Amino acid sequence: MGVLRDMFTALKGGANEVGEAIVDANAIRILEQEIRDAENAIASAKQSLTRMKSTEIKLKRELSTLNADIGDYERKAVAALEGGEEGLATEVAGRIAELESDREEKSSEQAALDVEIGKIHQMIKARERTIQKNKRDLDKVRTVQELQRATASVSKNFAATGSSAHRVSKALERVKAKQTDWQDRMQAGEWLEGKEAGDDLDAKLRAKGIGGSAGGGANDVLARLKARQGG
Amino acid sequence: MALEDLAFRLNDYEDAEGTTFDALVTEDGILEVVCSNNDEFPIHITETQTQILSVTPLFNTSEVAAGKADELNEAFLRLSPAVPLSAIGLQGDTYILFGAMALSTRFEVIAHELEVQAENAIDVLEAVEHLLA
Repeated sequence: MGVLRDMFTALKGGANEVGEAIVDANAIRILEQEIRDAENAIASAKQSLTRMKSTEIKLKRELSTLNADIGDYERKAVAALEGGEEGLATEVAGRIAELESDREEKSSEQAALDVEIGKIHQMIKARERTIQKNKRDLDKVRTVQELQRATASVSKNFAATGSSAHRVSKALERVKAKQTDWQDRMQAGEWLEGKEAGDDLDAKLRAKGIGGSAGGGANDVLARLKARQGG
Repeated sequence: MALEDLAFRLNDYEDAEGTTFDALVTEDGILEVVCSNNDEFPIHITETQTQILSVTPLFNTSEVAAGKADELNEAFLRLSPAVPLSAIGLQGDTYILFGAMALSTRFEVIAHELEVQAENAIDVLEAVEHLLA
């Protein structure tokens, strides 16, 4: 329980270096052992379930045979009574009573078996919960360990660069300068593309009223068509 | 995806925003990635059995301006919800920005997450720059 609390205590206590235990090594072994124990328990529980299932199937088959036999004898007893064979009917009734007590025994056996099967399912679920909880806890520990490893390799670099004054500000300045530079180049690129496509020249010409007056497109076309018609 | 494969694919990739990546697996088995949108704060990637962890070390506690530690920590707590996919944390005496992805994450999504983390690092640092020495 509470692997996070353990880790917090260890981390606050200064277990910062890679390889230093962020939780007691024993705690990890216990978590892993519990997972293995639970997995073994589930495996043997599943074997018991298989055995019980085969018993249950056998019981069900026997019960349905008993029910059929009882029905059969009941019909025969009625027939004997109708035929006036009182003695025979009594004998059959005795047989039915035997079968019924047999059926009762098997029914209670089946009920007990159902209870057992239910308990095993509950047990499997409980063990499954232990496994999942422990795996999540182990994952938390491993995550922090991996984060430490990933951080450690750069922390050394901080130290190497001497953690000079305003290191972060200088780095930010460089990044931003590069971004501005990149944006400038993007704008320059767009401008150049426009120029290459002749936008600039056309615009200049249009400004001087050369190369078609703005908005006069339709009128020009109409005039041209009329001229063609007239000629 | 193994870290070596991830490195190989990142080196050969440019995303929709034009970001490129320089990736290299260090001797310690950590994948170091420099995104072109932030080449000052590399991302360090490692894997557990279930997750890919990406860490951007930001600065050391010794780089915090004198007497500003509490203000900085509160600023980080307040900033954290603004960058929901990158968490801010303290690892030893190093402040880090970090994210986690499922091992099954698609390559394009990993690349995108790294780009976002690289950008978040700049944003977060800009927000607290005034509290650093």
